[in-house]
Amino acid sequence: MIEVIEVEKSYGRKKILKGISFTAKKGEITCLIGMNGVGKTTVLNAIMALTPINKGKILIDGSPLDKTGLEKITFIPDTITMLPKMTIAEAMEFMNDFYTYWNQERANELLGFFRLNRKDRISSLSKGNAAKVNLMLGLALDVDYVLMDEPFSGIDMFSREEITNVFTSHLIENRAVIITTHEVGDIEHLIDKVVLLDDGLVTKEFSAEEARENEGKSVIDVMREVYQ
Amino acid sequence: MKNYLKLVNFEFNRIAKLFAVLLGITFVMQMIGVIVKSRQYLNIVNENIFEAMMSKTQFLEQVGQLSFIDIARSIWFTAPIAICAAGIGFYIFLIWYRDWIGKNTFAYRLLMLPTSRLNIFYAKITTILMMIIGLVAFQLILIPIEMSIMKAMVPDEFRNDLNVKELVVSLPQLNLMIGSSIGEFFLYYGSGFLVVSILFTSIILERSFGWKGIVAGVSYSALAIAVWLLPLFLHEFVLNGFFYPMELLILEIIMGLIVLTASIWFSRFLLMKKITV
Amino acid sequence: MKKYWKSIAVIIGIILSIGTFYVNSAISAEHYPVLTVQTVNGDVEEMESLIIEGAYRNLSSMNYLGTDLKITAQGSSYNSPSLLDRVTGYYPTVIKELKEANRSFMRGKSLAANQYFEDNQFLAYANIDQKISSLGSSKFNFEISVLNKADDEVNSFTLKVPVEDGLDHVFLEDVQLVKDKIYLITQNMTIKNDDFNDEKRVYEIDRISQKLTNQEALLKFTQWKESLHTHIQLVEGSPTAATEHIIMVKTEDTVMEDTESTRVTDSKQEIISYNLASKVTETINIPGLNLEENQLSFVKGSTIYFTRVEEQELIVTPYQLGANQVEQDYRIQLRSTIDNEHIESPIISVEEDKLYVVSRQIDSNFNGDVAVVDIKTGEPLFEGQITLGNSSEEHGDFEIYMHEISVKQ
Repeated sequence: MIEVIEVEKSYGRKKILKGISFTAKKGEITCLIGMNGVGKTTVLNAIMALTPINKGKILIDGSPLDKTGLEKITFIPDTITMLPKMTIAEAMEFMNDFYTYWNQERANELLGFFRLNRKDRISSLSKGNAAKVNLMLGLALDVDYVLMDEPFSGIDMFSREEITNVFTSHLIENRAVIITTHEVGDIEHLIDKVVLLDDGLVTKEFSAEEARENEGKSVIDVMREVYQ
Repeated sequence: MKNYLKLVNFEFNRIAKLFAVLLGITFVMQMIGVIVKSRQYLNIVNENIFEAMMSKTQFLEQVGQLSFIDIARSIWFTAPIAICAAGIGFYIFLIWYRDWIGKNTFAYRLLMLPTSRLNIFYAKITTILMMIIGLVAFQLILIPIEMSIMKAMVPDEFRNDLNVKELVVSLPQLNLMIGSSIGEFFLYYGSGFLVVSILFTSIILERSFGWKGIVAGVSYSALAIAVWLLPLFLHEFVLNGFFYPMELLILEIIMGLIVLTASIWFSRFLLMKKITV
Repeated sequence: MKKYWKSIAVIIGIILSIGTFYVNSAISAEHYPVLTVQTVNGDVEEMESLIIEGAYRNLSSMNYLGTDLKITAQGSSYNSPSLLDRVTGYYPTVIKELKEANRSFMRGKSLAANQYFEDNQFLAYANIDQKISSLGSSKFNFEISVLNKADDEVNSFTLKVPVEDGLDHVFLEDVQLVKDKIYLITQNMTIKNDDFNDEKRVYEIDRISQKLTNQEALLKFTQWKESLHTHIQLVEGSPTAATEHIIMVKTEDTVMEDTESTRVTDSKQEIISYNLASKVTETINIPGLNLEENQLSFVKGSTIYFTRVEEQELIVTPYQLGANQVEQDYRIQLRSTIDNEHIESPIISVEEDKLYVVSRQIDSNFNGDVAVVDIKTGEPLFEGQITLGNSSEEHGDFEIYMHEISVKQ
């Protein structure tokens, strides 16, 4: 379980996060939803200790992020984080070198699934293909937690479909997934839990399924209620 | 340890091209220098002995023999050394900043690796050190080759042969690079290592706190160097030469180790708690 | 393994190249000429306590740094300047011994032997601290430390030097301690209306009351007066040898300045002694001893030793200051005079009734002399030669200059 507890964060004088708390459990897809600039990416960066927080705690399976924590978690930022001059094969080799839980079979499976050519250089990839490679590198790790930052932003329709398919596949099973997005439409039917962010606070945290079954509302309907 | 070695190899492969370019510049310029300087000297020999009919002994008295020191003092020889030094100085900064260039960058990948973040620091500093010592080693390999070219071009009676050690001792810029004993070598490169680690800490400060970090970095560097050289200052200005030289050397080594430890500890803290991608 | 080849290649390159360099330089460093002492006459035991110090230089290499060497009855030993030596720096054996014996007293003190005085009871040290204010006027302080060997008590104090008008610089030349009085012999330079004047001055300081009790100008002179150049040299005995006599050699050179060169056309020398106890200055006139031929080489107590080389003989003439008389001279056979054009008088030293004589220079072609003479009988106890031990080996051109001889007690 990833626990985000009362996290505060400022950039200069501007307070971006004013005490955010939520949890993400295994087997669930948790979706952080909010307008651009509301601090969704900051939350993910904070979980990975890529940016310091001013207050609060973030726990992975009950303890702060350390080396073992980093072995359990994979973060897929919104653009690819490999050296542009590397080929896809070299990027995979890099992952294989440093991660104990790198699953080469799964990586190959994903390569085939996305129809990627392992000899292509990162710098020569189209935006859609770069996003797929990014996803492939992140998902080929056999880890419990997956963080994804805006996996669909600026990606063409066909690539979007392919990526969405990943979420329904076995690649995601039994993992805790945190995904951020500012447009929920494409994945609405996939997500289990929604965390709505606004003005640095969690305005609502709810189960998508419960909302659907008990109240007959879609995620978008709930959002509409909250933001109006 | 394994991850550290892998990171070193990875970082070194990233600079391999620049390293090769520096080796190439050194090789080409120094080779040209040896040939040009030897030719120049032979021309003077020809002008004086064959055209102006000067006797050989007279010529040697007035002009003297050609020594490799004359070549090593020329711009052909020293310019590539200066270029390499500048290249390394530049790279000390680039080795960090290029990981932050662009939006989502390689810094993400490095910081997310399931290994101590200090390994990134160690790997980068090792790479810098490998590059510096690699260039020095290359220079040491080049010198005997250059000397044999000079030997092939200039006849025996017109040249003053010396070995590599003698050349190194005679030229301050080479002596500073290699040192005349292995102890000096460790002392020089130990100091270099300390200075680079202080610079690295300052860079990480900047990466953590932005423009405030620049101020902090500059202050930190000044403080670290002041603490390091404190015994020397005290010795000179306060204690009226209280220490014996040997004691001063040991004190400086101890202070250096303290500052190095502090720098590494501080960098570790920043990398773990304060760094921002 | 493919991706590791660059790093591995560079590391192997570094180890091979730098390793070879240091291994080679360690091997090549051992090619110093081995010198041995060959007995010509007498017993080599007589020079057992003699240590000759010099500097070796290889003329065929471009290495301008000399290497220190020591020669004893056992032969030569070299000490190439290692890192530690470079850091610790070179200093004379006297200072080295003082440092070893008095580690805490010697802390932060100058390395010049003439700033020390030592006898059985005391080790005294003086230094001049000159402070130049922004207005250009100077303040001088004597910093004095005296170690009482009996109780290891150190007595340190600072005294203001009375400054006369125009005093520009004070050089400390010697320190003596006689019966609770510390004597500092200085050369003071004054500049008044563009006139440069020098004087030798003696300051008398009471060790117990720590007060300046007397000061006196010994000699006043002007370094340059048109073509006349005057300089006065204080003859240094060993700092461990107390003396009541301050010996100075005054040289007056008439210098001709041509357009291209300067040369000395006339030179006059005078020996002046000052007795610290009686405060009497006198010019020493030694009938029959020509100062142009005889060189003042050594002072021990109240005896001055003059040397001159005549053909293959060194003639040492002792002169007694109190009695004002020349004593029987010593004649030492020289076997390896380097060349007759400019014979350098050997270094001499007198210790424990023995006169030690050592050549000043040895090189690839010439050996050096070493001799020990009984001062009472004038009989040579030992005569020998410092020769190249392994002459079969090629050493190229080298030269060794002796700069100090000392006798271990």
